Amino acid sequence: MEYEHTSGAPSESTELGHYQGPRAADPEIPADHSDDPGYQTRTRFLTMVAVAMGGVMTAAILVPVIGFAVADSVQEEDWRWVDVGPYSDFKEGSTTSLSVTGPSPEADRRVFLRNRDKELLAIWNRCAHLGCPTKYSAGSDGYVCPCHGGAYDSRGLVTAGPPPRPLDRLDVKIVDAKGRRVPYEAARPVDRVLVGKAYSIDAQERPFKLHPPGDPVDGTLSYLFPFIP
Amino acid sequence: MATTERPEPTPKNIGPKNPAVQAGMGVVDYVDDRTGVTTGAKWFMFRNIPRGTSWFQTLGFTAMAVFGMQAITGIMLAMYYKPETTTAHASIAHITNDVTWGWLVRGMHKWGASVMIVIVFLHMGRVFIWGAYKYPRELTWLTGALLLFMTMMMGLTGYLLVWDQKAYWATVVAVNITSQAPIVGPYLGNILRGGPEFGPDTLSRFYSIHMLLIPGGIATFMAIHLFLVSKLGIAEPPWSKRRLALERDEEDAKRRAASERIPFGRTPVPAGQPAPDPVRVEADS
Repeated sequence: MEYEHTSGAPSESTELGHYQGPRAADPEIPADHSDDPGYQTRTRFLTMVAVAMGGVMTAAILVPVIGFAVADSVQEEDWRWVDVGPYSDFKEGSTTSLSVTGPSPEADRRVFLRNRDKELLAIWNRCAHLGCPTKYSAGSDGYVCPCHGGAYDSRGLVTAGPPPRPLDRLDVKIVDAKGRRVPYEAARPVDRVLVGKAYSIDAQERPFKLHPPGDPVDGTLSYLFPFIP
Repeated sequence: MATTERPEPTPKNIGPKNPAVQAGMGVVDYVDDRTGVTTGAKWFMFRNIPRGTSWFQTLGFTAMAVFGMQAITGIMLAMYYKPETTTAHASIAHITNDVTWGWLVRGMHKWGASVMIVIVFLHMGRVFIWGAYKYPRELTWLTGALLLFMTMMMGLTGYLLVWDQKAYWATVVAVNITSQAPIVGPYLGNILRGGPEFGPDTLSRFYSIHMLLIPGGIATFMAIHLFLVSKLGIAEPPWSKRRLALERDEEDAKRRAASERIPFGRTPVPAGQPAPDPVRVEADS
């Protein structure tokens, strides 16, 4: 079907042919400042206020709650000097097992006071692998862990099994009646033995900050964690 | 402020004659008019499922049912359990030996924990072998992985609550393994323990995590998981002829696209771009 052009006016081709009827004039779009993305309308402002208020209220609840649940847990353990008895209780050449009170009686936290080789060592029984309690065996003159077969010699250095570092130690000192520190050679039987802060050692028995079980104190990983502030 | 017109009451002369059934339907209609709950229930319950759906697809519901049993028995056990280091083990002995059917409810909770782990892993294996984690069900898999993690956390935290030597040292070892994670590990261990060593705070903390924190998380993610299962439907089994044909077609198209060096994807090609399918290019030109 053909339609003739009646005038020179431009016409549109549609599926039905050329439309030549009346046309709606394009209405002039009134300028609206809310179309400008940079313009702050009341709605945008109130939305922003509502979101900010919601964030503040959520934070006001969550920050104290999470701090309450977490903050005290990541502190280092308290310590103090503990008098464990007169020097005469720890004979030259002996290894004495002492019970040390921790937060939990089930923890079976013990310190082995080793008085040998002109030296007094306080060795913590917590296995350096995953924290089970090790036991001193006089027959083999070493420490064994019941959980995964970690074994240590009498100084707490690893001889077998998975532990990544030797047994942790505690500071130990001998003081006289006036509380003055006495060197090992000058210790008298009436002097008191005090056990103090725990620390970790590497295979050469150099002291390090106390690490949790399982972490090596030397090597690359020791720089990554524990990340204790 | 009623904005909806009340529906016409059902005429008395149609519908069931039994007055008990009529009363029941009246209650259902009352609730449905106000909530639309039957539409939701029908959407959830009466879905089309693909040919070949079998008993293997019931493992997910089984896991949910076991979780329900754990929740109910756990709530009841909490009525007798005393979460203190001095009383915890004694109260469990009291539940087991003295309380009527205490041995049964505690046994259901204890063995149900193992059953839940087994069922959850079987469910995961089913989804893996069926390939049901593929598009569009990736997020169902993701929420399922979170549910698996939370189920394992339930196992860890519940194991300590018995507070005997085995529970104590097994959990000491497990939390020390947690502390091995790089950077955040020591923090996580300390946060779990409530300090550097297991103590009274650890027990009450594990109890709170075990009965409040993780069950809430499991319920939330189970709801999301179920919504996604209902929305996306059950995946066809890998031996479904329809699915095999679809996958073969897709492979063919991919291979053809690769040989013609034209882009291939699931999304439709935007207007003005060359169509990826050479067959369609020929048909259009």
